[in-house]
Amino acid sequence: MNRSISWMKYMALAAGLVLVLSGCGAAGNSSSAVQASGGEQTGQAEGGNLTYALATSPDTLDPHRSGLAVTVRAIRTIYDNLVVQLPDGSIKPWLAKEWSVSADGKSYTFKLREDVKFHDGTPFNAEAVKFNLDRVIDPATKAANSLALIRPYTSSDVIDEYTIKVNLEQPSQAFLGNLSQALLGIVSPAAAKKYGDQLGKNPVGTGPYTFVKWDENADIVVAKNKDYNWAPETVENKGAPHIDTITFKIVPEEATRIGSVQSKQVLAAETVPPQNIAALKSDPNQQLLQANTVGLPYTLFFNLRKAPWDDVKVRQAVQSAVDVESIVKTLYLGNYERAWSALSPGILGYDASLEGSIHPDINKANQLLDEQGWVKGADGIREKDGQKLTLRYVDGSPNREKRNDIAAIIQQQLKQVGIAVEVEITKDIATVIYQNWDYDLYGNSQVNSDPNALFAFYHTSAEGERPTLSGLSDPKIDKLLEQGAVETDPDKRVDIYNHIQQYLIEQAVILPIYVFPYTVAASKSVEGIKFDSLGYPLFNDVRIQP
Amino acid sequence: MVQTILTRLATSLLVIFGASVLVYCIMYLLPGDPVLLMLDPSSATPEMIQNLRVQLGLDQPFYIQFAHYFGDMLRGDFGKSMINSDPVLPKILEHFPATLALTALSSIIAITIGITLGVLSAIHRNGVIDFIARLVGLFGISMPTFWTGILLILLFSVQLGWFPAMGSDGFSSLVLPAATLGIVGAGFIVRMVRNSMLEVVNEPFIVALRAKGLTERTIMYVHALRNALIPAVTVIGMLIGDLLAGTVVVETVFSRQGIGRIIADALMAKDLPVVQGVVFFTAIIYVVLNLLVDISYAYIDPRVRRAVRT
Repeated sequence: MNRSISWMKYMALAAGLVLVLSGCGAAGNSSSAVQASGGEQTGQAEGGNLTYALATSPDTLDPHRSGLAVTVRAIRTIYDNLVVQLPDGSIKPWLAKEWSVSADGKSYTFKLREDVKFHDGTPFNAEAVKFNLDRVIDPATKAANSLALIRPYTSSDVIDEYTIKVNLEQPSQAFLGNLSQALLGIVSPAAAKKYGDQLGKNPVGTGPYTFVKWDENADIVVAKNKDYNWAPETVENKGAPHIDTITFKIVPEEATRIGSVQSKQVLAAETVPPQNIAALKSDPNQQLLQANTVGLPYTLFFNLRKAPWDDVKVRQAVQSAVDVESIVKTLYLGNYERAWSALSPGILGYDASLEGSIHPDINKANQLLDEQGWVKGADGIREKDGQKLTLRYVDGSPNREKRNDIAAIIQQQLKQVGIAVEVEITKDIATVIYQNWDYDLYGNSQVNSDPNALFAFYHTSAEGERPTLSGLSDPKIDKLLEQGAVETDPDKRVDIYNHIQQYLIEQAVILPIYVFPYTVAASKSVEGIKFDSLGYPLFNDVRIQP
Repeated sequence: MVQTILTRLATSLLVIFGASVLVYCIMYLLPGDPVLLMLDPSSATPEMIQNLRVQLGLDQPFYIQFAHYFGDMLRGDFGKSMINSDPVLPKILEHFPATLALTALSSIIAITIGITLGVLSAIHRNGVIDFIARLVGLFGISMPTFWTGILLILLFSVQLGWFPAMGSDGFSSLVLPAATLGIVGAGFIVRMVRNSMLEVVNEPFIVALRAKGLTERTIMYVHALRNALIPAVTVIGMLIGDLLAGTVVVETVFSRQGIGRIIADALMAKDLPVVQGVVFFTAIIYVVLNLLVDISYAYIDPRVRRAVRT
C-alpha cells in the first residue's frame, strides 16, 4: 500500500509542478490580459483588442534593418512615412505637408507637419528626418532592404525646423514612392540612439499605435496612440484608432492559424491556404479579405550567364513546355491570378497586352530544341556533345505558397520535352544564389510601388556590384531602364516599361508564374481592415462589433 | 553507491563535452556563411562583410574559435544571437519553463495511460481492453506528431471549442499540445509494459506467490507490476528525453513558446550561437535524466541496489 501511495505522491507532485510552471508562463503573458474574443469586452464599436495571426515571425521591428515582408504588417502600425502612395500611384502628403522638386530632379524640399510627436515625446522635425535618412545609409545600422529603397539618396540639409532638403545622386522617379514604403518609416532619433541595435525590440515611431511588448515566438502587442492625428489619405479615420490594442500572434502552422480563427481564438488570420478559401467564404461567421500585392509577381528567372540558358531558343523551348495556367489552377484552385509579365497588374506601366500572349506548345518546344542540336538520348533526356540537358532549379523556401510544388510540376512538364530538372530546396540562398550563382532557374517576387523595381533585376550589373538574378545584359534594355528611372512624363514612362516587359517575355528571360494575393480570414465582427497600395493591411479604421 | 554516482557524473561530463564538440563541428562545417545570412546580400559591401566577420571572431582558426566558445560556455556565457543580438542563455532560461511544463504534463499523460493500459491489457490478454490498448499503442507510435496535433485542434478547438488552438497562456493552452505528445509517449509505454508484464507473469516467483495464497490482485499490482516496471522506467527516461526533443514540432504546430521553437528558428536562420546554446543545454538535461533513471533502478529493484553496493 505504501508504494502505491508514494506513486500517487509523485504524480501529484509532478502535476503540481506542471500547474506552477504553466502558471509562470501565464503570468508572463498577463499584460496582454485582453483575451482573444476582444469584441465581447466592450458594449460599442469603440475599444477592444484585435487579435491578428501572422504566418511568420518578424525579424526585427526596426524598419531600417528588416528584410521581411511580414514585419511590415506590424511596423505599419508603429511608424509613419513622409509621404503616402495611393492605389492609383499618385503620391500624397503624410508627415510631409508638401514638397517641391528641383529643376534637375536631384533634390526634394519637404515642408513637414509641425504637430507631430514621437511616442517617446521626441518632437518630429527636419532634424529627425535627416537623422533617419542618414541612418539608413550608415553601414553601422546594417540596413537591409531599406538601403535599396533609399538609393540614390546622398545627403540632406536642414533648412529650418520644419523644412528639409534631400539630395540625390541622380534623379529618380521611384524615390518618392519608395519614401512611402514602411521600411523607410521614420523612427524616433532619441530611441534609435538610446537602444542602438536593440531598437528592433523597443520600437518608437509616430504611428497610430504604440509598441507595448514583444514575446518572442508568441505575440507582439501595440496599443492605440491617443494623440494620433495625422493619418494619410489611404484611411478614413485621421485620428486615434477606434480599438485599444492589436495583438499580433505568431502562428506558423497554417492549419492552426485557420483553426484559431474558426475557433474564435483570434479575430483575423493572414495568408489563408487556397484549399481553405472556399470553406471560409461559405462560413456565415467569417469574411475573406483579399488584396493583390503589387510589384514583381512570383517569377522564375533564368540564369543567362550559364549555357545553354544563354541561348534564347532553349529558353523559349522551356517557355513553351511549361504550362503555367495548369500549374496555377492546380495548386491555387482559382484563388491566385496567373502572372503574364515581369510586373504585376496595378503598378504603373503594367502591360496588359501580354495577357494571353503565351500558350503551352510541346511541339514548338521539341522543334526548338531539335534545331539547337539537342537530341533525345536513350533515357529520354536530350544530349548535345555528350552533355545532358539538365536544368538546376533552386527554391529558397520550405514550400511557401506551394512554391516547391511548382518546382515539382515543372520538373514533370519539362521531362516531356527531354529536359531533366534537378530541384534543390535550400534556405541558404545567400550562398547558392548570391555567392556561387549555382542555378539555372530561381524564383523570386518583390513587393514594390514603382516599375523601377525592374532595374535591380535586369540592368547590367556594374563591376563589383551584386550581379542580377537573370544575368541579363542588353544595352538597349539598360538604356530603357535608365530612362524609366528619371522620365518625368508618365505616358512616356508607361511606354518605356511596356517595351521592357515585352522584351523580357519575347526573349524568354523569365517565366512569370502567379500574382500573390494577400488573404485575410476575419470574423464578421471585425470591420475596416484596409490595404495600402502594396497590399499591406492598415488598421486605422478597424472597429470590432460586439 | 556514492562512488558509482561520481563515476557516472564524470562520464556525464564527458558526454556533454563530446556533444558540444560534435555540434560545433557540424555547424562549423555546414556550407553557408553566417555573415552573409546576417547581412542582406543585395546591399552589403565587402568591407561590411569583413568587418562583421572580424567582430564575430569568425576570421580566426577553428581551434581558437572552439576554445573561445567552450571557455565561454563553462563560464555560463552562451553568447549572443547573430540575428538580433539577444543573449542566448537568458533566452533559453526564459523559454525553458514552457517546454518543461509541456514535457511534464505530456509525461504524466503518457505514463498514466501507458502503464494503466499496459497492465490491463497484459492481465486481460486477448480481451477487448487488450485490443484497445494495442490499438492505442499502434496509433501513438505510427501517427506523425504534427498530424495528431492538427486532428486534436480540429476536434477540440474548432468543433467543440473546449481548448485554445494555440498560444502559451496558462493551463488550458497546455492541454492539447501535451495530449499530442502524451499520445505518442503512451504508445511506447503501453507496448513496453504489456510485454514485460507478460514475461513476468510466467516467472516462477509468481507461481510461488500464488501458491502462498496471495490474492491475484496483490500479485499483479504489487509484485508483478513492480518487476515489470524496471524496463518501463528505462523507456520512460528515454521518452522524457524524446518528449523534450518532440516539442520542436508540437511547439510549432500549437504556436507555443519554448526551446523547441527557439532551436527550429535558429536552425532556419543559421544562428550558430543559439543552436549551440540550446544543444549544449539539452545535452545537460539528457545526461541528468539518464543519471536519475539509473538511480531510480536502484530504488525500484533491490537486486540493482545490492549490485551497486558491492
